[in-house]
Amino acid sequence: MARNARRSRHKQRLTWSHARKLSQVIALLAFLASFLGLYSARLPGSLANLFLRLDPLAVLAQSAASRTWLAGSAIALLTLGLTLVFGRAWCGWVCPLGTLLDLLPLHRIAHPPFSDKERQTFGPPSLAGKGEKMSKFGRLQGVMAPCKRSIFDYSPPPDSWRKAKILLLIAIVGMALAGNLTLLVLDPLTLSLRSLSSAIWPALDRLVTALETTLYPLPGLGQAVAAFDTWARPALLPSQPLDSRAGWLFAAALLAVVALNAWAPRFWCRYLCPLGGLLGLLSRIALVRRVVNEECSGCARCERSCPTGTIDPQRGYASDPAECTLCMDCLEECPRSSIRFPGRVSLAEAQPYDPGRRQALATFALAIAGTSLVAAGDSSRERHPFLLQPPGGRQNDLVQRCIRCGACVRACPTAALQPALAEARLEGFWTPVLVPRLGYCDYSCNACGQVCPVEAIPPLALEDKRQQVIGLAAIDRDRCIAWAEQGECIICEEMCPVPQKAVYLEETSMTERNGPARSLLRPHVDPGLCIGCGICEYRCPVVGPAAIRVYSLGDETPPAGI
Amino acid sequence: MAKLSRREFLRAVVTGFSALTVQQLVSGCQRLSPPATPTPTPSANPTTEPPPSATAASQMSPVPSETAQSNPTPSSTAGFPDLVVVRHGDPEEMVRRSLAALGGLERFVPKGSRVVIKPNICVAYHSYEYAATTNPWVVGALVELALEAGARSVRVMDSPFGGTPEEAYTRSGIAEQVQAAGGEMVAMKRFQYAATDIPEGISLHKARIYDEVLNADVLIDVPIAKHHNLARLTLGMKNLMGTILDRSEIHRDLGQRLADLHSRVRPQLTVVDAVRVLVNHGPTGGSLEDVKQMDTIIASADLVAADSYAATLFGLQPGDLGYIRAATEMGLGRSDLGGLRIEELVVGA
Repeated sequence: MARNARRSRHKQRLTWSHARKLSQVIALLAFLASFLGLYSARLPGSLANLFLRLDPLAVLAQSAASRTWLAGSAIALLTLGLTLVFGRAWCGWVCPLGTLLDLLPLHRIAHPPFSDKERQTFGPPSLAGKGEKMSKFGRLQGVMAPCKRSIFDYSPPPDSWRKAKILLLIAIVGMALAGNLTLLVLDPLTLSLRSLSSAIWPALDRLVTALETTLYPLPGLGQAVAAFDTWARPALLPSQPLDSRAGWLFAAALLAVVALNAWAPRFWCRYLCPLGGLLGLLSRIALVRRVVNEECSGCARCERSCPTGTIDPQRGYASDPAECTLCMDCLEECPRSSIRFPGRVSLAEAQPYDPGRRQALATFALAIAGTSLVAAGDSSRERHPFLLQPPGGRQNDLVQRCIRCGACVRACPTAALQPALAEARLEGFWTPVLVPRLGYCDYSCNACGQVCPVEAIPPLALEDKRQQVIGLAAIDRDRCIAWAEQGECIICEEMCPVPQKAVYLEETSMTERNGPARSLLRPHVDPGLCIGCGICEYRCPVVGPAAIRVYSLGDETPPAGI
Repeated sequence: MAKLSRREFLRAVVTGFSALTVQQLVSGCQRLSPPATPTPTPSANPTTEPPPSATAASQMSPVPSETAQSNPTPSSTAGFPDLVVVRHGDPEEMVRRSLAALGGLERFVPKGSRVVIKPNICVAYHSYEYAATTNPWVVGALVELALEAGARSVRVMDSPFGGTPEEAYTRSGIAEQVQAAGGEMVAMKRFQYAATDIPEGISLHKARIYDEVLNADVLIDVPIAKHHNLARLTLGMKNLMGTILDRSEIHRDLGQRLADLHSRVRPQLTVVDAVRVLVNHGPTGGSLEDVKQMDTIIASADLVAADSYAATLFGLQPGDLGYIRAATEMGLGRSDLGGLRIEELVVGA
């Protein structure tokens, strides 16, 4: 059979499709490696955050919102350059989220392709077949699939949905110009990294810890479990169990993107991804693009193989360069070598699903107006009492710079940093905040500033970072063991890392209700020394909210020393 | 492989879980009978170190046989001092001299034994100069001596309360010295803390204690002497706190609870590092103004005696420290410095 011959030939030589898959795997592994290297800034920050600095959308929005240009972000021009030559090759060859979606072809489970037997029954597409026959097959597929294979009809959303990603892009730029970067949560790279740091890895850590705890006492397994743990921590998993606040939320966001893959392959990339939208716009003038020559028999193999569904039988199986990810699957599928990817300078033709000028302008205006409306409700007097930003972030307009990537959350070895939920309002949603009950700002660590790709957390030397005032601790004397119960507890003072102790003890004498006088140590906070690292709150043995808590300060300079 | 049917799969799962349950039950029953604690009695006077599992009556009898079999008694205890103090030398030299005076580490470390060394690496904040963590050369010298004595393995561990263990091990300088000497730095793992009864405990009856510390053939406690506001000083007994998981618990009734812990965790040797001591703002420190150079090493098989002597370096009496009082009362060691055979050496004078 000719078909089998083709198959075996393909197996023997490296096709472009193989090269693309190899590139995807390498990029995904590199992304994971950089993710692992973020922890405690074990890799140099500029290496660990490389993927995020390659992201032109994040860089563009960040620059627009903060009105600054960072030299380190220039590397994103590389991605733009790649796109100007190869179109959306980033999406097909590099993007870790795209690779994940390729690895989870849920649509194939929901809509399995026809088997050979079914093809025979319903009339298989022959090489000689022309468009007429094909459309018949297409109709058959449409009719038969739902009743035979799935509760869904195999019909991806209409092409008009593709404009959503462009409108999203416009909204992101508009909001960024108005100083709000919240929609960057939809950037594929921040989404991937945040899902890893706030959902997947904490869950994995819990799972491994539970397994270790279960297996360790079993006879003969103890040593192996301990050896595994020594190998795995801190290289792969954190050295101490870390909490992730609302981890389910981040998992749900990722799951939603993955679940949409059941509706259409790479649903996210086709309709939603704002970075894909940006790269798609540039791809219209890209040099290398797919063309179909007269050899085409209309067999529609390419159409079926296309993961973004951009090959249009109505237009002679041509595709839209703004949608094509150069995955090269069609090249491999084509039995007649009628597909080529030549380089040429031209402007791609407009598509009916491109957003109109009016739509684009309306979206832009709406984004700016909406952002202003949200900001109108923000008064610094109404600041959340526990809005504690990473060291240096408070004095650095963190909210206007943060791209929500979660690199700092991953870097923090104590899990003190968590994506904000309510603390930072809408304009600061998912920016990092310090949650002292979950973790404390380690006096020996400056990892968050080292890994931040946009210097929203300034990259401070350890000595400088130790001087940063994050907040101010205050003792709740109605709940404190020493104050309320006249008990023996000095843990907050013991833990305080400030050399002169920002929490100090006063020795007083007190008389028991019916007893003799005795001396008692009571903690006080020295506001001139406290840096708000939160270790006192973290270690306070009082159950529930701690009896010593770190409160938010304004954006202004910290209160002068006493 | 044959395809597994759903029923077969479920059956395998149920069998596996029942096996696990049975195993848990069996190990639970084993835990009911407390294991004999290996306790050495290297000191001349056996009443100074009663074994923790011994009853009040057996405290009178010299060297109970059950402890002798679990840990070989040093060949000869006669003639060796109860406590050695070495001054004015470089840290490694002082450690070597102090152990030589105690009869060599061979007295405590039988050939082929697994040695665990517990220094104080409480935070990852500062280098050793700030005297928040044990002097690295003191730890390194002990590792070297233990290996020279024929130890099978020497593992050094602590669980810092500020910063990650990796960072703390590195910044304290201890990792470098331990590895150079051929020992292992071990990050303590959460699943290795075993719920342990403390039969002699008065205030603390149960704690999750690190199993390697409990099961080591030889445990060497290497605290740094420093200031602490509640305990007044943190020394050898306070350093044992690093071997348990729930530390905020122990802060209530600290003196008694530390002594209770010591009744279960019995280091064979205590070496107090008073090379540089932290006299204020402990236990974390961070200012060189609070550090005092004392160039002193105290070594003893009796932790209570070592702590008692160390207290005098700070101008305190042993009885000023709650945990020394409690431990003396429980008969865990001696704090009557006048009655101890103390050998004082000066290296560099």
